[in-house]
Amino acid sequence: MHCDRDTANLQGDNNMSRSSHHAERELGALERDLVDSFSSGRISRRDFLVRGSVMGLSVGTLGSIITACGGDSDEDGTAEGGTETTAAAATGEIQQGGTLRLAAQRPGSPLDPVAMDNIGSYTPVVQSFEYLCGKGEGAALAPMLAESWSPNDDGSVWTFNLRQGVKWHQGGDFTSADVVAALGRLAGANLSSYITPESAVAVDDYTVEVTLLNPDGQFAYQLSPYNPQALMTPADYELGTLFDQVPNGTGAFILDTYDVATSATFNANPDWWGGVPYLDRVEILFSDDNATQINGLLGDAADAVIQFAVSDADALFNNDDVTVESIRGAGHRQIWFNVREGTFSGENGAKIREAVALGIDRQALVDQVLQGRGDIGNDHPIAPVYEFWDSSQPQRERDIEGAKALLEEAGAAGLAITMHAPDLQEIPLLAEVVQSQLKDIGMDITLNVESTDTFYSRWCDVYDSTNEPAGCDGGEEFGIVDYGNRGTPDRYLVAAYATGEWNSAHYNSAEFNEAVKAYQATVDLESRKEAIKPVQEIANRDIPYVIPYFYNTLTAYKKNVKGIVSTGLGHYYCGKAGFTA
Amino acid sequence: MPGRCCSSFDFGGKLVGQYLLKRVGAIIINLWLLATIVFVLVNVLGGDIGRKVLGPTAKLEDVQAYNELLGANDPLIEQYVRSVTNVFTLDFGNSFQSQAPVLDLVIPALGRSAKLALLAFVITIPISIVAGIYAARRQDKLSDRVVVNVGLASSSIPEFVTAAVLLALFAVQFKVGKVYANPPDGVGLLGQLEYLILPAMAMVISYFGYITRMTRAGVITALHSDYTRTATLKGMPPGQVMRKHILRNALAPTITVISVQIGYLFGGIVGVEKVFNYAGLGSTMLNAVGSSDIPVLQASVLVVGMIYMVSTLLADLLIAYLNPRVRLELDA
Repeated sequence: MHCDRDTANLQGDNNMSRSSHHAERELGALERDLVDSFSSGRISRRDFLVRGSVMGLSVGTLGSIITACGGDSDEDGTAEGGTETTAAAATGEIQQGGTLRLAAQRPGSPLDPVAMDNIGSYTPVVQSFEYLCGKGEGAALAPMLAESWSPNDDGSVWTFNLRQGVKWHQGGDFTSADVVAALGRLAGANLSSYITPESAVAVDDYTVEVTLLNPDGQFAYQLSPYNPQALMTPADYELGTLFDQVPNGTGAFILDTYDVATSATFNANPDWWGGVPYLDRVEILFSDDNATQINGLLGDAADAVIQFAVSDADALFNNDDVTVESIRGAGHRQIWFNVREGTFSGENGAKIREAVALGIDRQALVDQVLQGRGDIGNDHPIAPVYEFWDSSQPQRERDIEGAKALLEEAGAAGLAITMHAPDLQEIPLLAEVVQSQLKDIGMDITLNVESTDTFYSRWCDVYDSTNEPAGCDGGEEFGIVDYGNRGTPDRYLVAAYATGEWNSAHYNSAEFNEAVKAYQATVDLESRKEAIKPVQEIANRDIPYVIPYFYNTLTAYKKNVKGIVSTGLGHYYCGKAGFTA
Repeated sequence: MPGRCCSSFDFGGKLVGQYLLKRVGAIIINLWLLATIVFVLVNVLGGDIGRKVLGPTAKLEDVQAYNELLGANDPLIEQYVRSVTNVFTLDFGNSFQSQAPVLDLVIPALGRSAKLALLAFVITIPISIVAGIYAARRQDKLSDRVVVNVGLASSSIPEFVTAAVLLALFAVQFKVGKVYANPPDGVGLLGQLEYLILPAMAMVISYFGYITRMTRAGVITALHSDYTRTATLKGMPPGQVMRKHILRNALAPTITVISVQIGYLFGGIVGVEKVFNYAGLGSTMLNAVGSSDIPVLQASVLVVGMIYMVSTLLADLLIAYLNPRVRLELDA
């Protein structure tokens, strides 16, 4: 394939006339590298679309480049493996009016847009509050409150061009002052490793420049649904303000009522920048378990279930009135070992960890626990859906004899130990199958599966910041914990591995931390592909966590519901959703 | 003078006052004991409240400041006095979980539980009492055996199993009734019935057998008593014998059972509430335990305790009204 990267100095955004004043721009060094990578065939069309969207290249610009490069029609969005429905799809059939009832997880914490920490809280909050960058096809980003964005040559400064004419629900225009204030607050919280309170500067009313602490070619992801707390809140928003007490936002729906015990209801925002929504109202019905949510859908009490486990869902898969989406992603489960002290620490501990990693049959887990809806893991959190995933790394295979020998060497033959896990989605089944598989190498595992409330309130309750490396583990040395889908693996790498707050393993490797830093400093795809190799290798070698698989996120809705956009992380965008006749 | 005293609820003027005063005093003491038990349990549960609320990544000084604000660092005795005072002033503060005032969470939950319990009782009590009387009057006949065994079978199935079966069969399969039992705002009385009927029926099925058996046993005893025989021999019509002599005596144990069940219905039907995702007091308590939301837990437990005590008092008064012998015991 051959094309001229200058082709990209194009008219761009053909589909989005409202952003035309931002569309024409010179490509920076990073974007030119990306075009080179694509034109030379080093990355696929899909990866090019995803990467281009992260750098703020519009759909029109990307399409023009692909056309100029002669196209590459052998790949398309279905390579993601899912049946994702987007707002653009099928909108022609949608009727005006109606109330959409969503069966969702009950919020597990106050609805604080900056500090919320669970899927149940994300779902209601994101009906009203929005991000600068939204969700595009697959892992791509799409314009939301920012119409376009671009990095400088080394990815250290990002410029966001804001959408004009956006109104806050409580009145007033959305401007760069709001973005600067919101990023200032996030600098003291969720984005503290990326920016300082002074990093964001308003160039004019609708342009914001953000200078990063370290260059990052993927920073736009941190201002998208894949970093759920990065919502844009108004300039006068005070930290700790709860969404239900002071309802506001720029989104398609305005909060009407909220009762954590039962539901949240929203009315359509007639002034939404995306146009008047088809739906009159959205009603989110809270419950604590998947079974209730699925029964709600089957019993006509709900029109959609936001997220559920495959193990609960046979009745949905076999139902002609329901569409099930299977979104391939990076969500996974970590089987943690405390490597700081106890059974799994030291030289012998390392042997036991490896024995466990060799003792499980990953393909059987994907087949039995996920019914095939997932990818096998290789004991690191880099999922195959990431375009920089190093596929050349050897896959760890089951080796019962090798595992037994390791246990023998460690003096731990017949090791009896308790595995802790939350009663969340398919995790209890995963725990049972792992228990059964490890019996084959002589391990005697007792399961302690607790309700999610009990498990998570304990998981971080014993967080001990004075005993480094600290990390949430509920005071237990062996267990399973869940991680949702993310657009980049940074959160996993930093929070769970590199001495972050979720470091259940209490893993602390200077070599690994350096490798993560080197990966994060990369600004183009080629260097990221190189930088991720040692990250994968070290995690796979040290095994602070066994990562058996990456699961597909499942969501379902009635056949007469169209236009929902789901991220697999609790976001369920309904601005372009509605009912067909 | 049975004839005089049975015509009105009057068992001795001053004595009623004294009796009520004693019972109210007992309620206050019980509430204090309950508050003490809750306080001890909460402190046994332990944990760092500030850490729970602010999360694992909060700075230590913020956690300490928050604990200071809540008074969690105060001496235990000070916390205890404050906790008991809160009970009697009905000031439980804010929920740790949602930060809303506790009573804003507990009172609506109490209302929902009351609605469901009322519906369950309105269905259960007449059916069970009629079935109990019917079975007693046909003692040892086939119809008696059928009533007794159906009751035994229904009450031996746990409520949550009955609830799950009703949900799967009616709400999901036949689309009768609702999977989510919480009626949306603005739904009228009949509309609410559609939401509540299945969880109420799960409770009806569980309690039918129990109340029926108690009624049957009481009626059989009364049927074989001297006073019934005398009334019948005096030529009193059977309906009058049943109303004036049998039921007044036979229903005392039934009323006692029902009064105990009232407290249970408000706080103990967690299984049914969970299956139908009903936001009653039982679910509120369970969620509060799970999330260590101590103020909500404290308020919910005390409300349920209060309902037990008040319902037992009302039952005792009702029994005394119905049964002259009880009044004589009171007088004595």
